[in-house]
Amino acid sequence: MSKPAMQLVNLKKTIGNKPIIKGLDFEIRAGEVFGFLGPNGAGKTTTIRMMVGLIDITEGDVLIEGKSIKTDFKGAIQHVGAIVENPEMYPFLSGWKNLKQYARMVEGVTDERIKEVVSLVGLEKAIHEKAGRYSLGMRQRLGIAQALLHGPSILILDEPTNGLDPSGIREIRKYIRNLAEKENVAVIVSSHLLTEIELMCDRIGVIKNGELIAIEEVRTVENEEALKEVYIEVEPMETAKTYLDTHLPNAVGVGSKELSMSVKREEIPQILKNLMEQGISIYGVRVLQATLEDKFFDLIGENSIE
Amino acid sequence: MSNFMKLIWNEQIKLYAKKATWVMFAVLLVIAIGGGLITKFFGTESDFKEYGDNWQTELQEENAQLTAEMQDEEFGGFMNDMIIAENSYHLENNIKPQPYDGWEYVLENSFLTSVISLFTIIVAAGIISNEFKWGTIKLLLIRPISRTKILFSKYVSVLIFALTMLVFLLLSSWLVGALLFGLNGLNPMVVQDMMPGYAHNDVLGEIAKSYGFSIVTLVMMATFAFMISAIFRSSGMAIGLAIFLMMAGNAIVAFLSQYEWSKFILFANTNLAQYTNGMEPMIPGMSMTFSIIVLLVYFAIFLGAAWAAFTKRDVAGN
Repeated sequence: MSKPAMQLVNLKKTIGNKPIIKGLDFEIRAGEVFGFLGPNGAGKTTTIRMMVGLIDITEGDVLIEGKSIKTDFKGAIQHVGAIVENPEMYPFLSGWKNLKQYARMVEGVTDERIKEVVSLVGLEKAIHEKAGRYSLGMRQRLGIAQALLHGPSILILDEPTNGLDPSGIREIRKYIRNLAEKENVAVIVSSHLLTEIELMCDRIGVIKNGELIAIEEVRTVENEEALKEVYIEVEPMETAKTYLDTHLPNAVGVGSKELSMSVKREEIPQILKNLMEQGISIYGVRVLQATLEDKFFDLIGENSIE
Repeated sequence: MSNFMKLIWNEQIKLYAKKATWVMFAVLLVIAIGGGLITKFFGTESDFKEYGDNWQTELQEENAQLTAEMQDEEFGGFMNDMIIAENSYHLENNIKPQPYDGWEYVLENSFLTSVISLFTIIVAAGIISNEFKWGTIKLLLIRPISRTKILFSKYVSVLIFALTMLVFLLLSSWLVGALLFGLNGLNPMVVQDMMPGYAHNDVLGEIAKSYGFSIVTLVMMATFAFMISAIFRSSGMAIGLAIFLMMAGNAIVAFLSQYEWSKFILFANTNLAQYTNGMEPMIPGMSMTFSIIVLLVYFAIFLGAAWAAFTKRDVAGN
């Protein structure tokens, strides 16, 4: 078990009398991609703003590499690279000059390092154009470059694939995975795009109304014993139904072209074999995966902003 | 410290990457050239007159002629009066009049420091609020640098901008003046209308005084705009308030001057020239020391409020 790169300790934020974040307790380990998932207004951005010291922490603390963002801001924040909300840049400066601005604010970022980061995010061609002319995708890349300049051990990306085209998304995803696996960077990705999170993250924390309602591994081992929804396209349908009813009482539904049933994974081959022996033609079989999306909606229910 | 210098360098780059900044310099240059041309071609003839060895006789003749003119004409006597008075001062003190020159032009252009004040207010008002407008404040504040340092690097940048403009105004006025009117030596003496009376002073001292005193208003108003920008994060409000107060300041003081406490109003104290040349202060009982203390207190309040707002408050929204 690797040591936590970032720890949230009973983190709370109250604005006026209204509790916005109601006590978050979790940690992000080095080398993992942590998905921070929640509907709009759940408190994702507020939490991220507290992580990087943009807003005051009402109660609790954020520890970055063991250092408190409250009491040792410089010690803590030097390990962090971040995009908070949109990747905003100085529109009247070129991409390069934007990066130079941030390079001057920390020690030891050379021009070579800037070039390296620029090629990492694939922005070499446009780097000397004014950032005001960049597309959202290019700004997103520049934002990531800005966050990576000083080689942080924690990278916080708020909606990083926003505005990227599919190939761009795949590149960024690959790149994020690479950072985590090869450079042991802890990456925190917030998103409401569930499929994105699913593809990119090792663990997910789900936040709703300022509370963490679930935290779990994405690649959980498939449960062999669980019943799965299986759809089989057969012909003739009636024969198949009659036959299956005798074997799987009350478990078979009839669709327009498919029969559906809830069975264990291990039962599937036997069922297919039996059907074929009965002279029934099978055109297709699909097993419905419970996707993250289903889990997500199960967890948060209706998207309601209090 | 080098860290702080880099922050200032960053601010200067951002400032000069914007066209508006260059327009400000261009405007100043155009006024300096335009003013010079107007003085050259529409200025009072007597100002440019070169006097010979027996300038005393020339001046006496001039005065006699002007007196005669005044008897013929009903109007226009005021100008003549002034010239006669100045000529008499020259005669009484045995000072040979010198033609108008580049140094005097520089001195006259000290009124343009109010234009610099205006530009500095605009820059000071934007230097914080623009970061909020662009959203870049978030990227600025998540570096291992304290907010205090970032705030003061911005403030110092505003002062550097004001100083740059001031040097630019001095240089361009001097160049325009020297080209159009020539120079009467390195540090000529000038006769100045002190209202009342005349004085004979060296021009560099007068330039230093006149620009120096105007810097007080400039710095105070720029600091005020900077504070508003830090508190309200809106440049429009900062520019509007600062310019309004700069324009209306004297009127406000005049309006309230009947009250004893009006001497504590900022604008009653920004004009330190009121204590020189034996002039009466705006409100009785004020002195140079008093004003300087009042100014320092305002200055500390402005910067303190800006600091508190910038370092303590949440950066959320937008």
